[in-house]
Amino acid sequence: MSGMSNTPHVPMIPTGEKTSWNAMINSRNFDNINIDSNAILLDVLRDSAGMLGVKRGCDLGTCGCCAVLIDGVPKLSCLTLAAETKGKEITTVEGLADGAHLHPIQKTFSECGGSQCGFCTPGFLVVISALLHENNNPNDKEIKDAIEGNLCRCTGYQQIIESVHAAADILNSNEGVEDNTIAKVDPHPGIDRVQE
Amino acid sequence: MSKEIKGYRQQPGKLPFAKPGSGGREPFSKLRDLDMIPESEGGKRPQPKGKNRHDHLLTGSSVGRRTPLVDSNWKVTGQAKYGDDIRIPNELIGRILRSPHHYAKIRSIDTSEAEAIPGVLAIETGQQHTDLFGVLPVTKDEHAMAVDKVRHVGDLVACVAAEDEATALEALRKIKVDYEILKPIHNMKKSLDDVDEPIHDRGKYHIGQSNVQKRVFQEFGNFDGMKKAHASSKEKWKFAGVNHGFTEPHAVVANWEPSGRLTLYTPQQVPHYVHRSLADVLKIPMHQINVHRTFVGGGFGGKSDPFPHEMCAAILARKTGRPVRITFDRDEVFYTNRGRHPSHIEMNIHVDDNARICGIETDALIDGGAFASFGHVTTYYNGVLHTAPYEIGSFHYTGARVWTNKPASGAMRGHGAVNSRCAVELGIDDICTQLEVDPISFRLANLLPPHSSTITGFRITSIGMRECLERVREACDWEQKFRKLPLGHGIGIGCGFFISGSGLPIHWDPNKFPHATVHLKIDMDGGVTIHTGAADIGQGSDTVVAQSVSEVLGLPIEMIRVKSRDSDTSPVDLGSYSSRVTFMNANAAISAAIEIREELLKATAEICNVDKETLVIGDRRIYQKKDPAVGISYLEALHKAQEDRGALVSSGSYRTPPMGGVHKGAAAGLAPAYSFSAYAAEVKVDPETGITKVIKVWAAHDCGRALNPLSVEGQIIGSCHMGLGQVLTEEMKYGRNGSLLNPNLLDYKIPTVHEMPEVVPIIVESNDPEGPFGAKEAGEGPLLPILPAVCNAVYDAIGIRTNELPITPDKLYKQIERKMKVLDIKSPLDLPNPTLNHSELQKALDERANEHKIRDSERKLNTEREPYYNGTLFGKISTIPPEEQDENWTLSVTPSEEYLANPRLAGSAWKHQEVRHMNKGDDA
Repeated sequence: MSGMSNTPHVPMIPTGEKTSWNAMINSRNFDNINIDSNAILLDVLRDSAGMLGVKRGCDLGTCGCCAVLIDGVPKLSCLTLAAETKGKEITTVEGLADGAHLHPIQKTFSECGGSQCGFCTPGFLVVISALLHENNNPNDKEIKDAIEGNLCRCTGYQQIIESVHAAADILNSNEGVEDNTIAKVDPHPGIDRVQE
Repeated sequence: MSKEIKGYRQQPGKLPFAKPGSGGREPFSKLRDLDMIPESEGGKRPQPKGKNRHDHLLTGSSVGRRTPLVDSNWKVTGQAKYGDDIRIPNELIGRILRSPHHYAKIRSIDTSEAEAIPGVLAIETGQQHTDLFGVLPVTKDEHAMAVDKVRHVGDLVACVAAEDEATALEALRKIKVDYEILKPIHNMKKSLDDVDEPIHDRGKYHIGQSNVQKRVFQEFGNFDGMKKAHASSKEKWKFAGVNHGFTEPHAVVANWEPSGRLTLYTPQQVPHYVHRSLADVLKIPMHQINVHRTFVGGGFGGKSDPFPHEMCAAILARKTGRPVRITFDRDEVFYTNRGRHPSHIEMNIHVDDNARICGIETDALIDGGAFASFGHVTTYYNGVLHTAPYEIGSFHYTGARVWTNKPASGAMRGHGAVNSRCAVELGIDDICTQLEVDPISFRLANLLPPHSSTITGFRITSIGMRECLERVREACDWEQKFRKLPLGHGIGIGCGFFISGSGLPIHWDPNKFPHATVHLKIDMDGGVTIHTGAADIGQGSDTVVAQSVSEVLGLPIEMIRVKSRDSDTSPVDLGSYSSRVTFMNANAAISAAIEIREELLKATAEICNVDKETLVIGDRRIYQKKDPAVGISYLEALHKAQEDRGALVSSGSYRTPPMGGVHKGAAAGLAPAYSFSAYAAEVKVDPETGITKVIKVWAAHDCGRALNPLSVEGQIIGSCHMGLGQVLTEEMKYGRNGSLLNPNLLDYKIPTVHEMPEVVPIIVESNDPEGPFGAKEAGEGPLLPILPAVCNAVYDAIGIRTNELPITPDKLYKQIERKMKVLDIKSPLDLPNPTLNHSELQKALDERANEHKIRDSERKLNTEREPYYNGTLFGKISTIPPEEQDENWTLSVTPSEEYLANPRLAGSAWKHQEVRHMNKGDDA
C-alpha cells in the first residue's frame, strides 16, 4: 500500500526509459505510442489507448477483470508487460461486437442475467469469446474450466454459464445477432384485429 | 342513416394518420396478455393469495416478465463508466498516505520535501479539515484525514495530487510523519474494559472510559415459561469478519466546474449521504454540489458510507483548480473495509414441552473496528432481526459494539442479521435433534401468521415462510434424505427473515419528507424519462423502476429511459441499503405513473367521447374494454393531453406508514414489509480431511411478487455464492499483533466457479398488501439461510455441530479428532452417523402445523381480520397486546441490578456508566 511499506527507498521517479510501442488493438492500428519501458499492458490499454472497458480489479492476476485476448489467447493484462505485446493483435471487450451487431455472448449475457454490476463482465466476455471461438458447443465442465480465473461477486456464476450455452445456441443456429440500431417500437400503433 | 357508433371507432388493420414522432417497428398493438392480468380484473392470472391494490393498473407489459437489465448493453460493450473510467481532461492523480501503525498520535507532519518534487501540485493533511462526518448523524466520527491520531493501519494521514501516479507515490514517500505510538487493542473482549486512551472520545455520551461504542439491552415477554424449559440449546459462537469483495475498487473523481460548483463522480450506494457529508466537510451549501453516481462495480453495503477519500478528492481539486482522480489498490479496499462484523455470539434457545419456543436469549459482542459507520444499527439488528418468523415466548438481547484498532466494520448484505440468524437456526436444529422431531415440522408449527405482530412490535404483513419451507421440502426430497444419507453426506435446512426497507430514514429533518421520490417527464416523442435518485448498483433498480412505469402506462420497456445519476436532476433518494429500493422506489414510480395514466385516460375519453371508467390500457393503445376498436393510440392520447401545456410531468413518492412501539430502539428493524426464505443445502464432508463441499442448494425466497424473475433468481444465486464464501472460506485474518494478513483477493478466498454448487432458485410470491404490485425485497434476505443450511447439513453428514465460521477443513478436522477421542474411535470413518426416530411430539407438531396452515390461509384472504399478537401460541388472547393481559410481562431496555451482578459477555458493557450520568448524585 502507498506509503506504508518499510522497504528501502527505490525512487518512483524518474520512471523507466521511454520507448515506442505499437499494436493492433481491436483492429485499429496504434502506432508510435510512447510508453515507459516497464509499463504494464493494463495501464497502456486504459490510459494510452483509451480502452476503458478493460477493468482493473486487483493488480495481482486474481480477479480476471483485466483479461484481454493477445493474438486470440486470453491473458491477464495486469500481469503482462506492454513491451511483450509489441506488434501483436489485442482484443478487448470493445472489440467483440461487429459494428452495431453484438457478439452472441454479449447479447446473451444481457438477456440471461450474466451481468449484474457488470465490472467483471468484460473479463468474462473476452475469455468466453475465445472459448466459443475454439469450441462452439462447450459443456458445463469446459465452461467452468475456461472461466475459473474470473471472479464474479454478483451472479454466483450460474447465469453466466447459462449465457454461454445460449450464446452457443446462437452461434450454431447461424442466425447472428440483429442490428442494435434498428427502429424501435412505434408509439402510435393501430389494431389489426378485434381483441378480447 | 347508418347505425350510430358510440365513440371513435378505428377500422381494424388500418393505421390512423401518422403523428409526428411516430414510426418504427410493430405498427399494430398487441393483444393484452391475459395470462399476466389477474383474475379479479378479467384476466387469467390466478390469485391464490388474494387481490392486490395495484391489480387494476396491470397491463401485462413487463411486470413479472424476465427482463434484461436496462443498462446491461453498456456493461457488455465496455461502455459502462465506473469510478476510474471518468476521465476529465487535465486531470490530476490523487493518492493517499496511510498509517503504518495500528494506533498512534500524530505529533507532526512535514510535507516540505514532498512539495518540492516537480509535478506535485497539492498536499493536504487533516489539520485544515477538522469537520466530522459519518453516515449516521448520531455517530459522526470520521475526518477527511486523521486530525490528531490514527486509529488503524491504513487510516488516512495525508493526500497528494500530482501530474501522474509515479510522482504522487514518490511524494507520499517523502512526507515525514512523526508518530507517538499508542497501545493498540485488537481483542474485542478487551475493548469492554476501561483504558487510558479510548479510541474515540464521545464526550458526555462516552460509556465509562471504555471502547464500547454502542450497547443495547432488550427484554420482552414473560420469562417464567423459559425458566421451566423442556429442552434448551446453548452455544457460544465465533464469527470471523468478512469483506464485501466487490470487484471494483473504490474510485472517485472530483471536479470544481467553472461555475464554482463541485461535481463528484463516485460509485456510491448512498449518493445523498455523500452529498450531505461533502457539504459538512467543505463548508459549502448542498446546492453547490452535484453528486454523480457512476456505474457501481458491486456494493453489497461496502459503498454505502460517505468515505474520507471522497472528501480528499474534493479538497485536492479545490486546492489545485483541476480535476482529481483517486483510485484504490485492492489492499486499500480491505483497509477501508466496512464488512461484516467479527462477532462473539452466545445463543440460548429454550422450548417448552409443546415444542414452542418459549425463550431466545442472545448476547452479541461485535467488533466495530475503528469507526462507527452503521454500527449503531448493526448492534440492534443482531438482536431484533431474529424475533421472527417464529412465535416466541420471551426474548432477551444484550448487544455491544466496540471499537478496536482495525479497519471499520459496517453494513454488508444481510446487515447485522446474518450471524445471529445462523446461531438461531443451528440452535433450533440442535433442539429438534434433542426432541427427536423433524426440523421442518418444528418450524412449520411455530410460525407467525400473516398480519401479525412480533414480540418486539414489528408489523408482519405478508409472510410466505410456510410455502418456502414446504416447497423446499418437496424440491429437495427431504423425507428421503434427512438423517438417512450415509456418513459424510448430509442435508440441512435454514431459514431467514429480513427487512424490506428501513422504516425510519437515517437522516431526515423534518421527518416528513418521503423516503423515495420519482419524477416522470413525457414529451411529444412518447418516450418516458424517469428521474430517480435510486442508486443502481447492479441489482437492477433502474430496471425495476422502468418496469413499473412501463406496466402502468402499457408501454414496451424500450420506450422508457432512466436518469438516475446526478443529484442535480434526480429527486432525493436515500440510497441502496436495507433492501429498500424496490419497495420504496417502485411504489413511488407507480404513484407518478398513475398521474400520467389519469391524464391519458382523460384525453382518450374526450377524443372517443366515452366514459373514462370504461377504458383500459393495453400495448401502446387506450381503448374500451368491451370494444377494442373504440380507442386511440398512446401517442394520440398523449398529444391530446399535451394541448396547451407541453410535456407531461408528474411526481410520485413513498413514505412508510406509522408503525412500531415507543420503547428505546423500537425503530430499529421496523420495516413496511419483511422477506422470508428457507434453503436446503446438500453437502459432502470428507471425515478424513474435514473438507466440506456443497453439492446442491434449494433456495426458496418469498419476495412478495417477482417483478423481474430474472433478477430475483440472480439475487438468490448470488446471495448463495456470497453466503457460501462466509460459511466455508472467507475470513479477514488478523495476525497475532493485529495486522491484517490477507488484504488481497489471492489470500482472501472468494469461491470460484468450481466451488459453486448448483442452486435451484424457488420464487415464492406472498403478495404483500403494500408492496409495489405485491413485491418485497430479494437482495439481502436470500443470503441469510445459506449459512445455517450448510452448517446443519454438516451436522447431518458427520454429526458435528460447528460453532465457528468459516468452517475451514483444519477447524472441522480438529472437531472430528476431538469427537474421536471422546468416543474412543480409531478411524474417522467410524464416526456415528446421526439418525432420527420420531418421538411422540412429531405427530403433535404435524397436527399443529396443519391447523396453522389453514389459519394462515384464511387470515391472508380475510380482509376483516382481527389483530394477532405474538404470544397467542402460548395461550394469550390474540387480539390484545400481551403486555396488557399479562402482569408478569417484561418490557425493559435497561438491565436490572440483578442482571448486572452477573452479566453475560456483551452485557458487561452495561457495567460502565455513561459519562453524562456519572455526576448525577452531585446534582441531587
